[in-house]
Amino acid sequence: MALRYTFNRQTLFFRTHFELAGTKGFLATNSWQLHHVAESRPRTAPPGSRAAFEMELIVDPRMNGRAQQEAHFRGLRHLVFASLPPQAFLVYDLLRRQVRGVLSDGAVNDLFWNSLLMPITIGMMGTTMGVAPLHCACLDRGGNGVLVAGISGAGKSTLTAALGQRGFGVVSDEWTYISRRDCTLVAHGLGLPIKLLPDAAQFFPQLRGHGLRKTLNGEIAYEIEPRETMGCEVRDRSRPRWIFFLERREASGCSLTGCQPDYIVDFFEKSVEKLPEELSEAKQTRKEILHQLSKCPAWIVRTGEGPQQTAGAIERFLAEASDATA
Amino acid sequence: MQQLDSTNYVDPLDVLRRFIPTPLKAVYRIGSVRVMVQTNDFTLLPALPSEKDTDDLGQASLEWKLVRDPDARGLLETPTFLSAGTLTVVEMGNACLLGLDRERRELLGFLGTDVDPRTYQEFLVPFFCRMTDGTLYEDGEGFSGWNDEPSNA
Repeated sequence: MALRYTFNRQTLFFRTHFELAGTKGFLATNSWQLHHVAESRPRTAPPGSRAAFEMELIVDPRMNGRAQQEAHFRGLRHLVFASLPPQAFLVYDLLRRQVRGVLSDGAVNDLFWNSLLMPITIGMMGTTMGVAPLHCACLDRGGNGVLVAGISGAGKSTLTAALGQRGFGVVSDEWTYISRRDCTLVAHGLGLPIKLLPDAAQFFPQLRGHGLRKTLNGEIAYEIEPRETMGCEVRDRSRPRWIFFLERREASGCSLTGCQPDYIVDFFEKSVEKLPEELSEAKQTRKEILHQLSKCPAWIVRTGEGPQQTAGAIERFLAEASDATA
Repeated sequence: MQQLDSTNYVDPLDVLRRFIPTPLKAVYRIGSVRVMVQTNDFTLLPALPSEKDTDDLGQASLEWKLVRDPDARGLLETPTFLSAGTLTVVEMGNACLLGLDRERRELLGFLGTDVDPRTYQEFLVPFFCRMTDGTLYEDGEGFSGWNDEPSNA
């Protein structure tokens, strides 16, 4: 039989606000447990500020009867359809900044909320709320953010882990969410695990004993908690100050070459999602964030060394740069 | 019938497949509604009488944008309906994802590669028509005008 749901705020009794990458979300649901999951997230957004987006989520045990599914996403114009494992279906209305969805009981837990629902929601809706999702890692040293970008396979995640072991706070690994607060850029992470490919075990003995898992995009990888596995500090945000673009090379050694603002904009524009004309305002906001980000000092790191040696070179470089400006 | 070649559509910056080209256009009248259909697949053009006056394609009062999705496999599954304000969404597994935005007068959808032309014309097109002309509506006990038995489910 068909399942039919009518979303009516009056019947979704459990309501709360929550924070997501510096934005404020509003949740209305019929599930006390889901309400509790959202309530348990740390909140730092100003309490009086207006919600940037709204979620209405119905939890229905009848969804448990549906087949387990792989994640599947499609979008046309302002609508995005998302099927998520184990059994959840959501619709993102990017123009009205509303999310509606139906979840099985199996999706009502911290793991689903933190590892799937929130990252996907900010990934889909971020640009419409003034948050630019960028494909890079972010670390923090003394309140200064270090963005680490590079093409897939360049070694961003292993370098992130290695920098984390040298005392840099880990904000994010694969995706960083950049917002503006009072004309200042803020880089947010979601507290997600670092994803390391199987060959990372040669650099990090701590990985032995950890199981490999299939990630949402189908890769086989270690997903490790930076604090527990690597002993790293974890931060939820930082202010972008420096950017490093990582490139692998055959020759040994590690060199850093300064790069121009155009390079920064071009690099990130080549890796961000295309947006339809219906979302022209979001496109403009993202462009402005990239323009502001391009004013950060940035370097291309060409390395033939392992992550620990490359992290050491970056740490020394930043220490010298700080001394020079002191 | 011919299908445009969207099977090789690859764009790493378009993971949602928003930008699959839909160059085929036709205009129909469904009840009192003038509908422009745009798609990437000839077999998704409804087998309905075409509107005679096609001078101004831009003046359709409702638009269907229907994308044949070469990467969505499987048959139609039991539908899930979501209704919120002016938005109605229907999911029948990955084989059929539909959103009708009555305020913006758009029916947007993806049809999987295994949805055959007969199922499409005999089951889905009538269903889209009911969505379009408003006879698929919420009556307090669910959605009227829905046949619970998809022919290939």
